[in-house]
Amino acid sequence: MEINQIQLDALREVGNIGSGHAATALSTMLNRRIDMSIPEVRAIEFDKAPAVIGNIEVPQAVIYVKVEGDAPGKAVFFFPLQSAEILVQALFGTNESFDLFSNEMAQSAMKEVGNIMVSSFLMALTQFSGIPLQPSVPALAVDMVGAIFDAILLEDGVLEDTVLFINTQLSGLPQIEGKFVFLPDEGSLSKLLGAIGV
Amino acid sequence: MSNVISVGMADLKVAKAPDILMTAGLGSCIGICIHDPLQRVGGMAHIMLPTAGGSNGGNLAKYADTAMDVLVEEVLRLGAVKTRLRAKIAGGAQMFSFPGKPPVLKIGDRNAEQVIIELKRLGIPLLVSDVGGNFGRTIHFDVGTGDLKVRTINHGEKVI
Repeated sequence: MEINQIQLDALREVGNIGSGHAATALSTMLNRRIDMSIPEVRAIEFDKAPAVIGNIEVPQAVIYVKVEGDAPGKAVFFFPLQSAEILVQALFGTNESFDLFSNEMAQSAMKEVGNIMVSSFLMALTQFSGIPLQPSVPALAVDMVGAIFDAILLEDGVLEDTVLFINTQLSGLPQIEGKFVFLPDEGSLSKLLGAIGV
Repeated sequence: MSNVISVGMADLKVAKAPDILMTAGLGSCIGICIHDPLQRVGGMAHIMLPTAGGSNGGNLAKYADTAMDVLVEEVLRLGAVKTRLRAKIAGGAQMFSFPGKPPVLKIGDRNAEQVIIELKRLGIPLLVSDVGGNFGRTIHFDVGTGDLKVRTINHGEKVI
């Protein structure tokens, strides 16, 4: 579907409120201030989509939560490995190093981060739009970011020519960077836009 | 000197020896490599989904069932002989599993199945495949020798 400027602005605002809630949730968890940038909303051709996330061959820790409800979609957090490790260290209050490929405790901590942040994001989205949305159990993959992202894009066996991104940058703790991407499923976007009256 | 030619998502390229075709970060997608060992030419397609399912127009390299014919055609144009063509494939992973939910028809497996069907249809022998698992792959295909190098982050590197 074509999206006009007013709709893009509305989506940016929705994304802003949602990611604000998500950042607050993470701040509470870590007891530190975490900021999320004003989201960038854009429609990208699918083959250019992975490059938005970074060098596709470089491994990242990716938390994937399916959004279920009346306007389903996909919520994904991307953390460079070093940032993910710092995040886990902050959560556990230690300087110990964690191997995210194998350490199950670190992996479940990352999933919990995803769970809490996506839940807060969706709560805000539901309040704003009146459309009930729930998160699935989070899943984690630590691997080449391109491989992870193509698996997420293709999971349902369909692929639109363009993918809508609501993309926000996470910052706050020194050296932590991450990205949050919300990908509404095809029919969901018009439902969300309809519900907020644009 | 050999050039490394990069193949993007839903893309296909052909080359002559000593060039190398590569595609990075295959998840559930599949890299299909075919070559003629005598003519020393070959091609690679990076397909994303099994079948176009009636959606025509569009990018043929996106689907297993439409990419293969184009790939073969382009390799033949470089001088390959169809009966000498042979194939190697890699990819088709399942990167995530959700606890408690049996994955319905995993897309990586469906991609691999469809690629094998298409190879059979065209009568191209599949020499070796490295598909499945839960990890990403980057592949380099030497169109002259037919060596396919499969690189992963945490599951080693091998030449098949």
